[in-house]
Amino acid sequence: MNPSTPNDPNDISRRGFFKLTLGWLAGTFAIIASAAGAVRFLVPNVLFEPSQIFKAGKPEDLADGSVTFLEDERVFLVRQGNTYRCLSAICTHLGCTVNRTEKGYHCPCHGSVFDDQGNVKSGPAPRGLAWFQVTLSKDNRLLVDKSRMVAADKYLVLPTKV
Amino acid sequence: MNAPLLKRLWQTFARSRVGRSIFRVGLPESNLERSQAMTSSFLLHIQPAKVHKHSLKAGYSLGLGLISLYLFFILIGTGVLLMFYYVPSTDRAYNEMKDLQFVVSAGLLIRNMHRWAAHLMVLFVMLHLCRVFYTGAYKHPREFNWVMGVGLFLLTLGLSFTGYLLPWDQLAFWAITVGTNIAGYAPIIGPKVKYLLLGGNVVGQEALTRFYALHVIVLPTLALIMVAVHLWRVRKDGGLSRPDESGDVIEQIPLGQLPTNKSYGLMELARGTTPQVGKNPEDEVFSWPHLVFREILLFLLVAAVVLFLAIFWNAPLEEYANPIYPPNPAKAPWYFLGLQELVSYSAFWGGVVIPGLLVTALVLLPYLDRARAGVGRWFARERVVANSIFTICLLAAIVFTIIGTYFRGPSWSWVEPWQQPPAITEGR
Ligand code: HEM
Ligand code: FES
Repeated sequence: MNPSTPNDPNDISRRGFFKLTLGWLAGTFAIIASAAGAVRFLVPNVLFEPSQIFKAGKPEDLADGSVTFLEDERVFLVRQGNTYRCLSAICTHLGCTVNRTEKGYHCPCHGSVFDDQGNVKSGPAPRGLAWFQVTLSKDNRLLVDKSRMVAADKYLVLPTKV
Repeated sequence: MNAPLLKRLWQTFARSRVGRSIFRVGLPESNLERSQAMTSSFLLHIQPAKVHKHSLKAGYSLGLGLISLYLFFILIGTGVLLMFYYVPSTDRAYNEMKDLQFVVSAGLLIRNMHRWAAHLMVLFVMLHLCRVFYTGAYKHPREFNWVMGVGLFLLTLGLSFTGYLLPWDQLAFWAITVGTNIAGYAPIIGPKVKYLLLGGNVVGQEALTRFYALHVIVLPTLALIMVAVHLWRVRKDGGLSRPDESGDVIEQIPLGQLPTNKSYGLMELARGTTPQVGKNPEDEVFSWPHLVFREILLFLLVAAVVLFLAIFWNAPLEEYANPIYPPNPAKAPWYFLGLQELVSYSAFWGGVVIPGLLVTALVLLPYLDRARAGVGRWFARERVVANSIFTICLLAAIVFTIIGTYFRGPSWSWVEPWQQPPAITEGR
C-alpha cells in the first residue's frame, strides 16, 4: 500500500494495481483453461468404430439388375448391366434403416418414401439417401468408402466380360 | 398395543441423555418445543417452524411438488440398488436386465419400482408445472423459482432419456438413435452435440458409457442441488403463494410508519420481500405436527402406490438391441410421443424449433406476464388470457401425444385404434 495516503482504503498504488490485475487475469485464465480442457477432454480422438471402407465381394457375384442389402454395413449394392453403385440404407430423417420396396425404399420409423435413385418421394426425410463411392480393389473386389458421398449418376463401370 | 404407552416409552428415550444427544428435543409438548423440533433437526430445519394455513390446504398445491420429490427419492433408492448389478457394457447390460428379472431376488420388483417411479415423476412434474401456472404462482417474487422449475423439468426429461438407453434392448437402441439424431438437427452446434453425446458417430459402447455416467451421477447430482435450491427458495419467497399477497404486496415497510396493532421483531424490519410479508400470526400453525405429519403421510401414500404398480405390472424389456433393424413402429416413451409425432412432419421444425420456442417461452413467462392480480387462486378470472393460452398449448401437446400413442401404426401410418391394425407387409 502507498504510505502517503493511509486513510483512503480505496486508494491503490501502481504496484498494487498491477498485482491485482495480474492476479485476476491469472485466476480467470486458469478457470477458462480448465473449462476448455474439460470440454476438449470429452471429444474423443480415437473411435473404436467399424472402418468406413469395406470390401463388398466380387462384382460378378451380383446378378445383373439386382439390389443386395448388406446387413452389417447397412448399404444396398446396386448392379445394372456393368455398372455398380452403393446406396446408404440409413434414413436421412433420423437414422432408421430403410427397407427395399418394389418402387424404391421405405423407412419404417416415420414413413419416408424414396424412389430407386434414393430421392425423397414423401415423408419427413430432408434429403435423398446417400450414394457412396465404389472402386475396384487390387484383388478384384468391390471397395466401398462410406465416408465419400458421390452423385447418384457416378457409377463404377467394369468391362462387360466380368 | 397402547399408543400412549409407546409414546411414553419413546419420550423416555428421547429425553434420556443419549436420546437428547441425538434428537435435542423429544416429542414436542409445548409450542416452544414445536419450534425447536423444526429448527434443531437437520432434516426439518429446511422448513419453517410455522406455516400458513393456506399452504396446508390439499386443494391448493395438490401436493404435486412434494409427490415429485418423493418419487425422486424412490428413484435414487431403487437406482442405487440397480447399480449393484448393472454393468454399462453393450455385451452385458441386456443380460443383467434379464438376470434382474429372473435370477436376482426382488430384482424384478426393484426394476419395476424404478421404472414406474420414473414414469410417474415425469407425469407429476408436468402436473406440478400446470398447477403452478394455473394458480399464477410463478409471479413476483417467485419468478426465478419458476425458472429453476423449468430447469428441473428438463432435467427430469434428461434423466428419463438417458435411463432409457441402459437396458440395451431394441426400444433403447432406436429411441436413442432417433433422439440423438434430433439433437443433430439443431443449428450450428447440433452435429457437435450429437458427437459429444454419443462419443462417436454411432450408438455403441461409447454412447452407453456416456449415458450411464450422465444417468447415475451427473444429472441426479444436478437435480438434487437444484431441488434443494428450489425448496429453499419456496421458503425464502415467503412460503407457498397465497391470495392475500397478490396485488398489493407490502414490499417495504417504511420505518416509522409501522402499523401499531402488531409487535415486530427485528427480523420483520428487513427490506424487500421477506418470509414475513403478508403473514398474520393468527393465520399460521406450527409445522410440527401439522406440516410434518401431512408430509410423512403423503410419502407413505406415494411409496404404496409405486409398490402396488411394481407388484402388478412389469416394466417392458424388448429384444436385444439390433442396430440393423428398427422395430416397426419404433415408438418413444409416452412423454416423447407428442414430440415424435411432430418430428414425423419435420425433424427440424418439430424436433428443434417448436420445443426450443416452448422452453424459451416457459423460461421468459414470469418476466413477460407481470400483472399481479390473481395469484394464489386456481383459474383466477383476472388471468383468463394467460390461462387460455396455456390451456391451448397444453391441449395441443395432449392431442399430439394421443395421436402418437394410439393413432400411429407400422411405418407411422395413420391407424384408428378401434380398427384392426393393418398387417405389416414389409420389413423384416
Ligand atoms: C424435480 C422436479 C420438481 C420438484 C421435486 C419440485 C418440488 C416442489 C415442491 C415440494 C414445492 C412446494 C409446493 C408443492 O408441493 O407444490 C414446489 C413449489 C414450486 N415449484 Fe416446484 N418442483 C419441481 C419442478 C418444478 C417445475 C417443472 C416448475 C415450473 C416450471 C416448478 C415451479 C415451482 C414454483 C413456482 C413453486 C412455488 C409455488 C407456490 O409458491 O405456490 N417446480 N416445488
Ligand atoms: S427415420 Fe426414417 S422417416 Fe424418420
